[in-house]
Amino acid sequence: MDEYAIGVLTNIGLFSFVALSAWLLLVAGELSFGQQAFFGVGAYAAGICTTMLGWPLPLAALAAMALGAAAAALVGLPTLRLRGLYFAMATLAAAEMLRILFELFHWQIALGDDRIGPDGTQGFRGIRWMFERGIEPLDFLAIVWILLIGVVIIFLRIENSRLGATLRALGHDPELARSAGIDVDRLKLGVVAAGGALAALGGALFAHHNTYIEPRNFDIMLGVHSLAYGLIGGLGTVFGPLLGVALDIGVLEATRSLQGYRMIVFGGLVAVLLVFRPRGLLDERAVHWIKSRL
Amino acid sequence: MINFLQNTLDGLALGASYALLALGFTLIFGVLRRANLAYGPAIMFGCYCATWAYLNTGIDLLVLALIAMVGSMLAGVYVERLCFAPHRKGAAAAAMVASFALWMQFEELATLALPRHLYAFPALYEGGPLSLGGLTLRIESLVMLVAAILVCAALWGILYRSRFGTAVRAVIDNPAAAELSGISVSAVSLRVFALASAIGGLAGFLIVSGNQQVTPMLGMWSTLKGMLAMMLGGLGSLPGAIAGGVALGLLEAHSQWYLGPQLRDFIAYLLLFILLAIRPSWMNTRSAY
Amino acid sequence: MLTVRDLVTTYGKIEALKGVSLQVREGSITCVLGPNGAGKTTLMMTIAGVLRPRKGTIAFRGEPIAALAPHAIVARGVALVPENRLVFPRMTVLENLHAGAYQRKDPYENDLEKIFARFPRLKERASQDAGTLSGGEQQMLAVARALMSRPKLLLMDEPSLGLAPLVVEEIFRTIAELHRDGTSILLVEQNAHMALKVAQHFYLIEQGRVTFSGDPGSLAEDELIRRAYLGSARA
Repeated sequence: MDEYAIGVLTNIGLFSFVALSAWLLLVAGELSFGQQAFFGVGAYAAGICTTMLGWPLPLAALAAMALGAAAAALVGLPTLRLRGLYFAMATLAAAEMLRILFELFHWQIALGDDRIGPDGTQGFRGIRWMFERGIEPLDFLAIVWILLIGVVIIFLRIENSRLGATLRALGHDPELARSAGIDVDRLKLGVVAAGGALAALGGALFAHHNTYIEPRNFDIMLGVHSLAYGLIGGLGTVFGPLLGVALDIGVLEATRSLQGYRMIVFGGLVAVLLVFRPRGLLDERAVHWIKSRL
Repeated sequence: MINFLQNTLDGLALGASYALLALGFTLIFGVLRRANLAYGPAIMFGCYCATWAYLNTGIDLLVLALIAMVGSMLAGVYVERLCFAPHRKGAAAAAMVASFALWMQFEELATLALPRHLYAFPALYEGGPLSLGGLTLRIESLVMLVAAILVCAALWGILYRSRFGTAVRAVIDNPAAAELSGISVSAVSLRVFALASAIGGLAGFLIVSGNQQVTPMLGMWSTLKGMLAMMLGGLGSLPGAIAGGVALGLLEAHSQWYLGPQLRDFIAYLLLFILLAIRPSWMNTRSAY
Repeated sequence: MLTVRDLVTTYGKIEALKGVSLQVREGSITCVLGPNGAGKTTLMMTIAGVLRPRKGTIAFRGEPIAALAPHAIVARGVALVPENRLVFPRMTVLENLHAGAYQRKDPYENDLEKIFARFPRLKERASQDAGTLSGGEQQMLAVARALMSRPKLLLMDEPSLGLAPLVVEEIFRTIAELHRDGTSILLVEQNAHMALKVAQHFYLIEQGRVTFSGDPGSLAEDELIRRAYLGSARA
C-alpha cells in the first residue's frame, strides 16, 4: 500500500474516534458541539506523558482516556439537567474554554539541547515516541484500526444488550425513561464520560501520528464536523459515524480535481441527503432493512 | 476612571453590533426553535457580495449597504428552504447539521470569488473620532448605536403594530395554535428568516466598514457572537437579545482591557457556562433547540 | 357539508383510526362520543389538517381537504377549538382574537364587537395576557378566536374538559346559540349527557371505528352513556 493511502486510512481511523464520541451522545439524545476539546485533552495528555514523562504509549493512552473522561464529567456534571440547544451551547462554551486554556498552557522542560513541551499558541512539537521506536506508518495504521475495531465490537455488544436499549430509550424520550425508573442522570453522565474517554483516545493517537499539535487543531470546526459525521453516516448503527468520516475524508481525497468546489458540492449533497434521511444514511430503518436481508 | 468610561463607551458600541446580530439570530430561534449555524455565513455572503461590487465598480457606500442586506437575505432564504422548511416536524439535529453544511458552502464560495484572506472595505467615515471630554467616540460606533436603536424601533413597530407582527408573535408563542388560527407557519418562517438575515446583513455591513476590512472568518464569528448574546440574554426573547448583546459588548471591552484578548473570550464563555449551569428563572428554559 | 370516508390515521405503526366514516349536515350540531383513547381527538386533528391520514377522504362542501395544511383548511371555513385550548399565553385577549382573524381580508370590527357582546368576560379582560385567564375563560377565548375566522363549520374537541359545571353550562349555551345563528358544529365530548341535549345527530367511536350512529333517542341514554365512558367491550 502506498504511503498516501496509508495516510488517508489513518486519518479516517483517527477522526472516527471523535466522530464516535459525538455519535454516542447523539444516540443518547444530546447534541454536543464540544467533543473536540476531549480529543485535545487526550492529545496533550498523551504527548506530555510520552515526551516529557517518558511513559510508553499504551500507558499514556490510558492516562489520556482517564483525563478525557474526567474532563468530560467535569463538563457534564453541572449540565446534567440541560437539554437540546442549552446543552449544546454549554458544551461549546466548555470546549472553547478548554481550547483557550491550551493557548495559555506553557510547560517546557529541557531535553538535551532542546526545550520541549506545550508552548501555548505555538503548539506542542516533538511528539516523536513512534518515530523513536521505528514504528512504521503501516504499523501505526494497524494499531489505530485494531483499537477502533475493538471499540466498535464493544459498541455492537452494548447495542444488543439491555444497556443499548436503555440508551436508545433515553435518546427517544428522557421523561418517559425517567418515569420507567431509569436513572437518567447517572446514565447521561456515564455517556458523557465515555464519550470523553473515546475522543481522548483518538486524540492521543492523533498527537503521535502528527508529532505536532496546536490549540487550533481542536476548534469548533472539528466539533461541528464530528457531530455531522455521526448524523450523516447514520444514527442507526455504530458504523454510521465511521461511514460519515470515510465519506468526508474519502471524498476530500478523491475529488482533488474539484479542489475549489469540493465543499460546495459536498455541502449541497449533505443538505439534500438530510432532507430525505434526517437520521443519516444508515438510519434505523436502513439498518433494519439490511439486517432483514442478511 | 477615564479608562473605565472609555471601555464602557467602546463596550456599548461593540454591544450594539452584537445586539443586532443577536436580534437576527433570536428572531429565527424564536420562530423556528432551531439554531441556524449558517446565520453568520449568510451575512458574510452578503458582505462579500458588497465587497465584490466595491472592487469591480465604484459604487456608493449606501448602495453597498443595500447589496449586503439583499445578499444576506437571499442567502438566508436559501438556507431556510433547504435546511429548515423540510425539517419542521422533529429532526432538529438534521436541520442544524444541514445549516452547517451550507455554512461550508458559503465559506468556499466566498474564498473562490475573493481568494485573499483579507480585503479592504471602504470606511464608513473618513474623518477622525469625536472627542467628548477625555473620551473618544468613533463615528462608526455612533452610527452602529443609532442603527441598533432604529432597528429595534422598526422591529417593535413591525411586531406590535402590524398584522404580520401579530402572526410572528403568535408563531413564537404557540406554533400549533397559530396554524389552527389560519396562520401559515411555513410562510411566517420564511419571511422572518428574510427579515432576520437582512438585519444581520446590516449589522455585518456596519461591522466590516467600521473595521475597514472583511475576512471569511466573519461567518463563524457572527454566528458565535449572535448565539452567545442570545443565550446570555435569556433564550428566545428579543429584549433579552438586546440586553445580551450589550452585556457581551461591555463584558468583552472591560475584560480585554484588564485581562487581554484570550481571557476576554474565556470570561464570556465562562459566564455563559455558569449561567446555563445554574439556569436562573429569567432564562427561558422551555424545551428548545 | 363535511363528509369523511374510511379515514385511517396512524401514529407510527399504531392505527388510531381504522376506517372512520361520518357526515356533518349543514346547519346541524353533530356529536362524536366515545371512551378515552377511542380516537376522537385523532379524528378532529385529522379533519383540521394537523394529522395527515394514511387512507380515506375528507370533503368539505364537496372539496377534498385531507391533504391541506391546517391554515389552508381554516381559509376554507373550518376552524378547530382544540382539546387543550391552545391560546397564545403571552399575547393579550384582544391580540389572540386578531390572530384568529389573520385570514380575514375584510374589516372585522363588527365581528369583534359581536364576540365581545357574546363573551362579556373576555371584553373585561381584553388587554390581559391570555395566559393569566382561568380555564373557563381560556375556553371562551379559544372558541372566540376560532369564531373570528368566520367558520362555516366549527370543530370543538372536548370543550367542557376540566371545567366547573356552571361554566360547562355556559359553554353549551354558547354552542346552542352558535347553532341558532347558522354555524354547523362537530362536537367531540366526554360529557355525553350534555352533548346529547344539543346534538341533532351523533356518532359513537370505539377503538378507532364508528360503532353506532343515529339521533338522540335511537339508543337508550344510559346504554349510550355507559358505552361512551367505558366502551362496549366491557359491557
